[in-house]
Amino acid sequence: MQVRKTNYLVNATPTLQVLTEDEIEAIYFSALRVLSETGVRVYEPEGVELAYSHGAIVENADEKSSLVKIPSWMVDRARATLPHRVTVVGPPDRNGKRNYVMDLFKNQIYYGTGSDTPFTLDPYTGERRRATYKDVKNFAKLAQALPNIDFFMSLGITQDTAVGTYDRWQYLAMLEGTNKPINITAVDIEGLKDQLEMAYIRLGGKTEWKKGPAFSLYIEPVSPLSHSEEVVQKLLFCCDNDIPFVYTPCPLAGATAPCTLAGTAVQALTESLFGIVLSQLRKPGAQVIIGGLMSNMDMKTSVYCYGSPEMALLSAAYTDITKWLGVPEYETAGCSDTKLFDEQALMEATFNITTAGLIGGNMIHDVGYIEQGLTSCPEMLVASNEIIDRVKRILRGIPVTDDTVALDVMDEVGPGGHYLAHDHTYNRFKTEIWRPTLTDRRDYNDWTKAGSKTYQERVHERMIELLEADVEPLMDEAMFKELHRICELADERHKDEELDVQMFV
Amino acid sequence: MSDILETISTAVIEGDVDEMVDLTEDALDEGLSAQEILDNGLMAGMDYVGVEFKAGNMFVPEVLRSAKAMQTAMDILKPLLVESGAPMVGKVLLATVKGDLHDIGKNLVGMMCEGAGFEVKDIGKDIEPEAFVAAVKEFEPDVVGMSALLTTTMRMMGHTIKALEEAGLRDRVKVMIGGAPVTQAFADEIGADGYASNAATAADLAKTFVSAA
Repeated sequence: MQVRKTNYLVNATPTLQVLTEDEIEAIYFSALRVLSETGVRVYEPEGVELAYSHGAIVENADEKSSLVKIPSWMVDRARATLPHRVTVVGPPDRNGKRNYVMDLFKNQIYYGTGSDTPFTLDPYTGERRRATYKDVKNFAKLAQALPNIDFFMSLGITQDTAVGTYDRWQYLAMLEGTNKPINITAVDIEGLKDQLEMAYIRLGGKTEWKKGPAFSLYIEPVSPLSHSEEVVQKLLFCCDNDIPFVYTPCPLAGATAPCTLAGTAVQALTESLFGIVLSQLRKPGAQVIIGGLMSNMDMKTSVYCYGSPEMALLSAAYTDITKWLGVPEYETAGCSDTKLFDEQALMEATFNITTAGLIGGNMIHDVGYIEQGLTSCPEMLVASNEIIDRVKRILRGIPVTDDTVALDVMDEVGPGGHYLAHDHTYNRFKTEIWRPTLTDRRDYNDWTKAGSKTYQERVHERMIELLEADVEPLMDEAMFKELHRICELADERHKDEELDVQMFV
Repeated sequence: MSDILETISTAVIEGDVDEMVDLTEDALDEGLSAQEILDNGLMAGMDYVGVEFKAGNMFVPEVLRSAKAMQTAMDILKPLLVESGAPMVGKVLLATVKGDLHDIGKNLVGMMCEGAGFEVKDIGKDIEPEAFVAAVKEFEPDVVGMSALLTTTMRMMGHTIKALEEAGLRDRVKVMIGGAPVTQAFADEIGADGYASNAATAADLAKTFVSAA
């Protein structure tokens, strides 16, 4: 083959970069200083002991917690065994095939939902109310049907089940609706154990889990620089049982973290690095994903902003940091501070979905969130699926090759001709030109004939259509019963802890 | 209003913490009573701040700076007010309930209440019902404020109210609750006296509790 072209650089995808390598290093080394000089407060004696016995300095202990200072060499050591790639694989379909793989490493993107909102917007009435088992199952069904939703988190806390054991019921509701990878939450270690047991049953044994864990666990240390008893226990349990986990603080610039975004990034990294160190001490190779959810406080209303430009920017900056560190990242997008599915919802989701995609954050969660993460919105999920689709078109970039510059075709068509019927168009239009599913591009007459529907109306109709579609159950009756039994047994064990009032009316 | 009171009021609005000690001492030297300085200087400033905050013209850090300015003056005035037997606005006891380390909202409520003239006792986070009971006995607050961020720890608010009942203290205090998953309906269910969805509303609620008493 005759070669003519040399020194030809390709930009296969458009790129976004928020921080330079020097800035990343400045943030990283600052975090190491915070970890070794300021320290973090740890509320779990076993975690304190683990760090102490491997070189950490422990001081300032009170009856509940200790201040733990981690020398930087301990971080270096932890990084040496920290996996650069973490994989979560959804449970099998009825043919025993595990179709959905979330393979997290540098520059891979997977979009998914957010978890545990107290409220939801009713799919039919739009009413804001407490989320139920049925809602979680519905959202899982939507996520299952939407091709750009790669993993699921419970878009709603099941609140028609017991409060202290809601996590098992929630997991069951999710398993009923989807066999995509799931990022679960757990009330406590016992809740986590029960859910792991449920996953073993769903997969058909522990060996299947080892081949590919079916869920990761969401763990959230408390900013600033605090690691609660429950958080550390969960981390240790995950290490011991080969459960990948997301260790994500949610610092709030100006309130629970410095007002400056760089300072917030330093603090968030410090908080996650502690999780990394502890996990690698417990089990070298333990699978950690670090977050990714950081924003600013709105200084008028004092809320945690989910739709702010600072949220998108900080999350993107954090992705730059995690790429440099070589650890999978938990990004945030598809979320808004709006109260209903409106222009603000779409504007904010578009901005943060685009930013997250361009920067290449790995596990991009919170699609479907509105009202600062307090409410889930089914229309937001469905619309975001299309927004993600648009972004993915942009991410495919513009390949510039001898074929795509189409000189032969231009020469053939010539001045004054057209390309409509040309083979070149026929063969390439489907991949080259993005086709919307909900966005309207009809001419005015056709649009009015079709009912003059707004985008909001079209999204709502599509959502109802997906919700009401007949689908095969994802598991058989016997398995469902077995899983159900675990939830019931948990309720039985914990019935005395509940309040004797109806909590969620 | 005398010039010095107006200057104090302006200093509170502008959050001029550094000037507060001198200004307060100047006012006392001029023969103004602690009560006059509080009512017509400090509170006049804080009332203005409250109005501007609600109108969206002032922001949380500015309100907190004003509250801090007021507190700086109060450190001087408080012993004098106690001496003169003047009634204080009231006392608020605050904590995040057992099992929960999230306290940013509770901290904000504390600062807002201080800005509203309350004496605030913040006993921290992850606080057991028994510790609430002990603190109520010791501090004798007019209002008890509880916060929780999680649905699982929300339950602890109900258990804490029950503990106050069992200790025979429930009638002596008004209980207000808050936190992201909390609602008025939940407050009603567990027998709290009130719910506030944000810190400024909580301070207003505390004020209505003590003015009704």
